[in-house]
Amino acid sequence: MSDAHDYAALGFKCGLEIHQRLATMEKLFCSCSAALPEDAHVIDITRRQRAVAGETGMLDASTSFESRRGRLFTYELFRRSTCLVDIDEEPPHPLNHEALGIALKIAASLNAKVPDELEVMRKEVVDGSDPSSFQRSILCGYSGSIAIGEKRIGIPSIFLEEESSGIEPKAGDGVRYNVSRLGIPLIEIDTDPVISSPKEAKEVAMQLGLLLRLTGNVQRGIGSIRQDVNVSIKGGARIEIKGFQDLENMDKIIEAEVSRQLALLDIRKELLARHASVGNAVDATGIFLKTGSRLIKQQLERHGIVLAARLTGFKGVIGRSIGDNRRLGSEISDYANGAGVRGILHSDEDLSAYQISMDEAGAVARLLGLNADDAFILISEERGRCERAMQLALQRADAALSGVPEETRAVAPGLFSTRFMRPLPGGSRMYPETDVLPIDARPMLESAFKEKISIEAITAKLYSEIGTPQLAEQMLWSRELQLYTELKLRSGADGRIIAVLLLERFTEMKRKGIDPSSIGRDALLRLLRLYSEKEITRPAMFGILESLPKSGRDVDAELDSRHLRRINGKELKRLVEMQKGHGAEKAFDEIMGVHRLTVDAEELRAMLKTDA
Amino acid sequence: MYSEKVSSLLARKGIKIGDRIRLNARGSMFEGRLMPRPDAGSGDVIIIKLDNGYNVGIGMEGDAPVAIDKLQDSVITTSFSNASASRSAKNIAANSAKVELLYTGGTIGSKVDYVTGGVYMLTKPEELMYEVPELGSIASINVRHLMSVASEDISYREWQAIARNVADAFNCGARGVVITHGTDTMHYTSAALSFMLKDLKGPVVITGAQRSSDRGSSDGFMNLICSVHFAARGTIPEVGICMHGDTSDEYCNFIRGTKARKMHTSRRDAFRPVNSTPLARIGTDGSIAYSNDVTVQNNAKDIKDMKTTAKEAFEPKVALVKAHPDSDPDIIRYYSGKGYRGIIIEGTGLGHAPVSTPHKEYNWLENIKQAAGSGVVIGITSQCLYGRVDSSVYRNARLMADAGAVYCEDMLPEVAYVKLGFLLGNYGSEEAAKLLPVNIAGEITKRSEVDWFV
Repeated sequence: MSDAHDYAALGFKCGLEIHQRLATMEKLFCSCSAALPEDAHVIDITRRQRAVAGETGMLDASTSFESRRGRLFTYELFRRSTCLVDIDEEPPHPLNHEALGIALKIAASLNAKVPDELEVMRKEVVDGSDPSSFQRSILCGYSGSIAIGEKRIGIPSIFLEEESSGIEPKAGDGVRYNVSRLGIPLIEIDTDPVISSPKEAKEVAMQLGLLLRLTGNVQRGIGSIRQDVNVSIKGGARIEIKGFQDLENMDKIIEAEVSRQLALLDIRKELLARHASVGNAVDATGIFLKTGSRLIKQQLERHGIVLAARLTGFKGVIGRSIGDNRRLGSEISDYANGAGVRGILHSDEDLSAYQISMDEAGAVARLLGLNADDAFILISEERGRCERAMQLALQRADAALSGVPEETRAVAPGLFSTRFMRPLPGGSRMYPETDVLPIDARPMLESAFKEKISIEAITAKLYSEIGTPQLAEQMLWSRELQLYTELKLRSGADGRIIAVLLLERFTEMKRKGIDPSSIGRDALLRLLRLYSEKEITRPAMFGILESLPKSGRDVDAELDSRHLRRINGKELKRLVEMQKGHGAEKAFDEIMGVHRLTVDAEELRAMLKTDA
Repeated sequence: MYSEKVSSLLARKGIKIGDRIRLNARGSMFEGRLMPRPDAGSGDVIIIKLDNGYNVGIGMEGDAPVAIDKLQDSVITTSFSNASASRSAKNIAANSAKVELLYTGGTIGSKVDYVTGGVYMLTKPEELMYEVPELGSIASINVRHLMSVASEDISYREWQAIARNVADAFNCGARGVVITHGTDTMHYTSAALSFMLKDLKGPVVITGAQRSSDRGSSDGFMNLICSVHFAARGTIPEVGICMHGDTSDEYCNFIRGTKARKMHTSRRDAFRPVNSTPLARIGTDGSIAYSNDVTVQNNAKDIKDMKTTAKEAFEPKVALVKAHPDSDPDIIRYYSGKGYRGIIIEGTGLGHAPVSTPHKEYNWLENIKQAAGSGVVIGITSQCLYGRVDSSVYRNARLMADAGAVYCEDMLPEVAYVKLGFLLGNYGSEEAAKLLPVNIAGEITKRSEVDWFV
């Protein structure tokens, strides 16, 4: 596939942030279970949050944006996975050393250095995803790197931090969070912004994911790993994209972001050429007192107002496409949403779709003194919200004159595009966690570096154990790798047969509608031992494997009831002697015809050869 | 604090906390701002704030070569300036009720000081207004900085000062008074003010925070908002504590000052009414729901002619002791020997201490009898907290009452302690003993209602 853009020429800059939940018994700063609960939540609580000044006395742009929304957050609490620490009703307990050990092992595996003393920080989050309004985070590695083929991608920072709450689908007015996963240890790995193309970004994400899986200490399953992408081009701005559900479309979405920035830069050029500018909010309620627009009528009935504003020189630009189902108007609308309005109306769209008459549109144009090249936007809502929404909308329109605003954006579900979430956070949302003592990391380093994981070493080991490169590579990326390693260690069986069993036979069974996940480790171990000790043949092993989920019997019962014990040595010799006189070929067919599952073909062939 | 070695190294290079520095330690280069060393951890580890906002600690011990250089002077700014204070002052709604906000310290008024590393009390109370600007639209607030004292450090002298200031505020036209206070001993202060203040013209609302106001989730913001609402419009001219009603940020309770107790070390709804019900519930929107049995209300005409007074005399030589298995009765002798004029015993159950034990060294009876006989007022309360003491049910209690101990009804032990100090400060011992079991400021209720328990 050829690239959609010449990324080098565009000054493409891209870095990743990988977030991976660790598999520990307890949460990072309390003794709640770190496993996701299966039961329903037991109680709801509500909290209001506001932005406070950080350590350096500055309010952060992103946190004050969120806090202005003045929202009430609801949190769902669980019996085993929520305690007073999670809801900021009890000071944090000392740091979970199991989690720290894993984090340091990962840091070591990324060839990173570890600060002598770890300082627990509070990262302010006022989107409500944390009842305490901050997330605890520790910088625990720096100056690391990972190899992607010949290239080394720098890892400037590795963080050990608390997982945030999960947002629940819209329920009523407020925002609802599930607190069960809050505080689960999470590792964040940041790369340098040296990734040269969307394709390479995907590759780096895959490689980091692999390394994390290879540690054997990370949670698996949906949501347990998340990737954020930072991307910019020359003349554009740094954009953080969140919410990649999988890596599948990562390259396409980054590509779309580059296209969006290019489109915004084009718009900027055109607006500057037209001497465009952004006007002020004007009350246009009077025009709509007898309106047929359901949308506006509804607001006016609730004593809402209509605000309009002139966008000089914007005609045709608000409606211009900047991506998959995205226009400049959608960006402006996203900002206005921050004040809790559902959207904006603008003169580049078909206003009759909202039952706004030509007369009304004309009256707004006259009120604002519009010229041919000008556009307007309209917002109807309750006064406070409307004023705030218009302010935000005009702020975004104004930013179009400067190009691309720095933002945190989210992947739009089902589309190859992103939408605005909030302004990009800065450094001032960090301040020290004064309730937790600093941690001297030096005594823990030696053991962490001893457990260091190397993708290269594991790959080489798999290649030599499994033999065929294709199967070895498949195993490296497989979910069954951990199982493979355990079976290899404990069964004494050949790596290749284990790989065949876990990859090929499992796939085959799934195709036949048999669920291999119901077969326990002990059964697999027993089968492989029987096979490597020549107690059963390979076809018998696979036969028993397939029948286990259905029969529910254990391996030995299955083996005995189906008389599948292997015939070898003296016993096989006797069968061969009974065929004396027939040629070797005929004897082989005769014996295998009757004992297909209990005689090993190779052993038989060898015996017939020496007899001949 | 940094070690002497590190401090002198920094001094040699002319580096102060907050300066931007470059540090080269064992092959790694760090650039950022020098942060203060908290009390914990090694003083030989330098803490530097990187540009991404994170702090890291770099060890300076041993002979490892560490180069450190100053790049730039401190550029720490503060979110608070006089300009923003006057802005919020202008925000005050016209014609709104006058509320005096007396600032005494505690978590609600504390911030992490990133220059010295410690938690410090706000010295400019206007900072509080800056943090909660909506207060200005509820009432016309006059903020007065009385003191910056952690509540565990508060003594009767501070109670006296607060009481005086509350009286002054009412006599100068305040509709209500809000006192910000540390939470640990808030219920002692509320009891003391309840006894000291007479003829209140409006509510005296004591509030605080369980979580510091440097976090966006601090309970202090809402506590303050509800308190100002109640001080501005509440119709109960009494001293009370106004804090979160439950763990959600939805409403606060106004609890009678002599019936409140801190019942949890860290939760925001730590304050509970004991042997009482909350007098009112205040929503964040300013809605006030009164409890059924509250009828007290001053009318405007009365208020005009009233003068609030602070009866502030207090006898600090009063002790609060707990009777428990194997407790040494000599504690009574110790206090009376030191000239104490009153002792409140936090007894077991209905108000008992070991007085029939065959083990003479643990028998309190003789010491109680002796102390009471020499004029020390002995009050009996219960460590059950909930419920009423009674001297007639069991023989042991009868023995104690006969020895001269006064049974304090359904009064909380801490409240009894404060009350006895107040009584002995204002009356002779005999009168004080007589008044101890008689209700003065809502501390004793005759009836115990069914739903007054946890």
